[in-house]
Amino acid sequence: MNNHLNTTLQPTLPTTLLSIWQADTQQRAFRKIMNAFARPGVIETLESEALLLTLATLLDGATTFADFDGILSEHDMARLEVATATAEQARFVLTHGEAAPAFTPSLGTLESPDMGATILLKIQAIGSGHRLKLTGPGVDGACEVAVNGLHPAWITAHQSWNSAFPLGVDFLLVAEHQVMALPRTTRIEGIK
Amino acid sequence: MGYVAIKGGGQAIQGAEEVLEALRTAEGEHGTPLTMQAIENQLRLLTSRIVSEGGLYHPQLAALAIKQSQGDTLEAAFALRAYRSTKPRLLETSAQDTGSMRLIRRISSAFKDIPGGQMLGPTYDYALRLMRLDLANESAETFRAVAREFLAETPEPNLPDTFPKVVEALRAEGLLPPVENHTETPFDITREPLIFPVPRSAALATMARAETGSILALAYSNMRGYGDVHPTVAELRVGYLPVMLPHPITGEPVEVGEVLMTECEVVAMYEDDDSKGAPTFTLGYGACFGHNEVKAIAMAILDRALQKGMRDGPSNPSEDPEFVLLHIDGVDSMGFASHYKMPHYVTFQSDMDRLRTTQKKHESVKQQDVNEGVQ
Amino acid sequence: MSAGYNFGFLDEHAKKEVRRAILKAISIPGYQVPYSSREMPMGRGFGTGGLQLTLSLIGANDTLKVIDQGSDDSVNAVNLRQFIEMTCPGIDTTTHLSEATLIQSRHRIPETPLKPEQVLVLQVPYPDPLVVVEPSEDKRKIMHGEADYARLLVKLYEDIVKFDEITISHRYPTRINDHYVIDPSPIPRWDVPKLDNSPALVLFGAGREKKIYAVPPHTKGEPLAFEDVPFRVESFNDAQGKRRACARCGATDSFLDEFMNEDGSKRYQCSDSDYCDETLQASKMTEAATYA
Repeated sequence: MNNHLNTTLQPTLPTTLLSIWQADTQQRAFRKIMNAFARPGVIETLESEALLLTLATLLDGATTFADFDGILSEHDMARLEVATATAEQARFVLTHGEAAPAFTPSLGTLESPDMGATILLKIQAIGSGHRLKLTGPGVDGACEVAVNGLHPAWITAHQSWNSAFPLGVDFLLVAEHQVMALPRTTRIEGIK
Repeated sequence: MGYVAIKGGGQAIQGAEEVLEALRTAEGEHGTPLTMQAIENQLRLLTSRIVSEGGLYHPQLAALAIKQSQGDTLEAAFALRAYRSTKPRLLETSAQDTGSMRLIRRISSAFKDIPGGQMLGPTYDYALRLMRLDLANESAETFRAVAREFLAETPEPNLPDTFPKVVEALRAEGLLPPVENHTETPFDITREPLIFPVPRSAALATMARAETGSILALAYSNMRGYGDVHPTVAELRVGYLPVMLPHPITGEPVEVGEVLMTECEVVAMYEDDDSKGAPTFTLGYGACFGHNEVKAIAMAILDRALQKGMRDGPSNPSEDPEFVLLHIDGVDSMGFASHYKMPHYVTFQSDMDRLRTTQKKHESVKQQDVNEGVQ
Repeated sequence: MSAGYNFGFLDEHAKKEVRRAILKAISIPGYQVPYSSREMPMGRGFGTGGLQLTLSLIGANDTLKVIDQGSDDSVNAVNLRQFIEMTCPGIDTTTHLSEATLIQSRHRIPETPLKPEQVLVLQVPYPDPLVVVEPSEDKRKIMHGEADYARLLVKLYEDIVKFDEITISHRYPTRINDHYVIDPSPIPRWDVPKLDNSPALVLFGAGREKKIYAVPPHTKGEPLAFEDVPFRVESFNDAQGKRRACARCGATDSFLDEFMNEDGSKRYQCSDSDYCDETLQASKMTEAATYA
C-alpha cells in the first residue's frame, strides 16, 4: 500500500466518530477532563462531541453506568462495554440537566467516599446563560461561569448531596464539545 | 573546590547491566548457555515456584525469567508478573473442577486407604538427603539413559483418568459441611485493590501467588502455637488440570490446555459455632500453579486460620487477614526492601536537621541547668 | 515469545482505572483512592505508583521531566526516564523545569514555582500518615473519614514534651482543605509550603500500597503544628546564624545537600540541579553584562 497516495486521495471522512475510541484521542481528552476537575469553572473544549468522548474515555467493564434518560443509542451503549446499574447505584450516571433530578445517586461512605457517583449532566451550553459564582479547592479565590439548560434544582441537589463531606457526588456538565466540572468541594451560588 | 558531578547516573546504570551480563557468562570460552528446556525440565521445581509466584502459567517464560535473573527467585517471579500485567484479558474460565485432574501424585494422611488409593509419585519426602556425588560429573550418556530405561521398564500403568476427592467421602459421611453454592464472582486481585474486610476468594487468590518463604513463615507461626489449626492433610494432589473455556460459538466448554498444579485440603477440628446444625470438621484450602507442596500446605493452614480470624476477629498474626495478605507478596516485599538502596540524601539531610536542632536544645537546657546550679 | 508493549506499557484498561481514580482523588482532596496497581518492571518502592500515574497521563504532545533527590541524573531518575522514553515513543523529555508539561519526582518539589499548565507527580512509599498511630487500615479509613486526627496530634505533642521540638523531619503530615491529613511523600519540610495554594495540580501515587491522592491547585495545605510550637522548615544557617550558600551557584534560597570533603570539612550544594544550573547561568549573564 502506498501511504503517500493513500493520504492524498483519501476523502475527508467523519473520522471524529471513529477516533473517540482510540487511545491517543482518549489520552488528550482525559487531560482536559482532569484539568476541568482540578479547576472548577474552567471550560475545556474537547476535539469532538464531548458526551460520547468523555464516556469512552472514562468507562469500561470495570465500572458501572446508568443512562438515566436513555440518551445514548443502543450501538454506543454496546460499544462502551460497561456494566449497567441503577442510577441510585451506578458509579457514573448520565442524565439531562434541563429537568430536576429524579433519583438519589450513591454518595459513597465515610470510609470510601470515592464510591460517590460522578454525574454527567447534558445541558445546552456552557459559557452563556445563568451565571454562577464558584468557590472552593481548584478555584483561585472565586470565579464566575454561565450555564444554559441546567435546572436550578441540580444546584440545590449539589448542595444537599455534598453537605456532609467527604460524602458526595461530583458533576461534570457536558454541552456540545465542552465540559466543566463541579466536584463535591465546589460551592455554587446563583447570581441574580 | 570540586563540584559534585551532575552527570553519571546513566553511565552507571549501563555499566551495571554490562557487568551483570559479564558475570552471567563468566565461564568464558568453555561455557555453554543454559537452554530453556534444561531449566524447565532439570530445574522443574524452580520453574514451578516461578509460575506460581509470578501468577502466570507459562513455564517457558518462567524458565527465561530464571535465566535472565541468574536464578534469583524473587527477580524471576517479578519479571513474569510484570510481563503478565501488560497483557489484556481476552477470556475468563468458569470455576474449574480439580476432581478432573490427571494426577502424578496424591496422598492422604487422614486415611490409610482412600478411594482410588494413595499414589506417592515424584517426591523427596522419603529421600535421604545425602549428597549425590555421582551427579557432579554426570555424562550426557548416563543422563539420557535414565529416562529411556525408566520408560522401557515401567509397565503401562493401569490407572484411571481421574481420582475421587477424599473430602467428598468426608462430606458424604456428614463429617464436613456440604459445599456451599457460591454464586458471587470471585474477587480478582489483579483488577481490584484489597480493601479490608475482603472475601475469602481474595485471600485465596493472594495466597496462591504468594512468595513461598513468606507464606511458609506465617503458616509455621500458626503450627508452632501462634494459632491452633492442628491440621490433618485430607488430600494433597499434584497433577495436570484440564482448562475448560466456553467455545466462542456454541458456548459449550472445550479443553484448551492443561496446567500443572498442586492442591491441598486440610481438615481441622470442629469448633463451637453458634449457628444451627450439628458440629462438623472444618476445611482449609490451598492451591497454586506448579508443583509446590509446601506452599499449598501453608496456604491451606492459613486459609483455615483466616476463616477463623474473619469470623471471630484475629487472636494471632496468622488469623489477621490484613497482616497475612499484605505481607506475603514477594514482588511487594522485595521491591520495598530493595528501594532502601536508592538515594535518600534529601530525607537524610532533613533527619540531620531535626537531630541537630534537638541536640542544640538539649545542650542549651543542660547549660542552663549548670548555670542555675552555680547560682 | 514476542514482547510487544502498548504505548505507555500499561494496557488501556489499566490506564482507565488510574484515570478514574485520579478524578476522584481531585474531587476529594487528600483522600487516598484505592486502585489495583499493576506490576511494573521495576521494584515496588522505586516509583511504580508515580510511574503508573505518569503513564496514564502522558501523550505524544507531552514534555516530561523526571527527577530524584532534585536531580535529573540520579540513577533512579535515569532509569524511570529511559523506561518511559522506551514505552512512549514520540514524547519529549527535558531537564529544564520551564519546558516540562509533566514532572515526575521523588523526594523533592522543584524550587521554582510550578506553572498552572504543569502537573507534578510525586512518588509515595507510605501514603498514610496515620499508620504511626494505627496499624489497621480498616480503622484508619474511618479515622480519615471523620477527620479524626487526635491520636496523631497527641503523638506530635509527646514529641514536644520529650524533645521540645517536633521531630518529624520529612513526610510531614499536612492537612488538605481542612479535612484529610496526607503524607506528602518524603519531601523535606522545605517543600511542604509549596503544597499550599499551589498553582499546579499535584498527584501522589503509591504503587505498593495501591493508593492515589491529590492536592488540587489553589487548595489549602497546612502542616500540622501547635500555636506555641510552629512548623519550621530545615535551617541552612551556619553556627553564626548566616544562611549558607550553594558552593556551585551561590544561591541562598534553595534546599542544600551536605557533602563531606576528604579533609572532614563540609560543603553545601543545591539539591535541585536544574535550579542550580539556572542560577549559575543567570549569574554568568549578570557578570557578562557588568563587564561589557
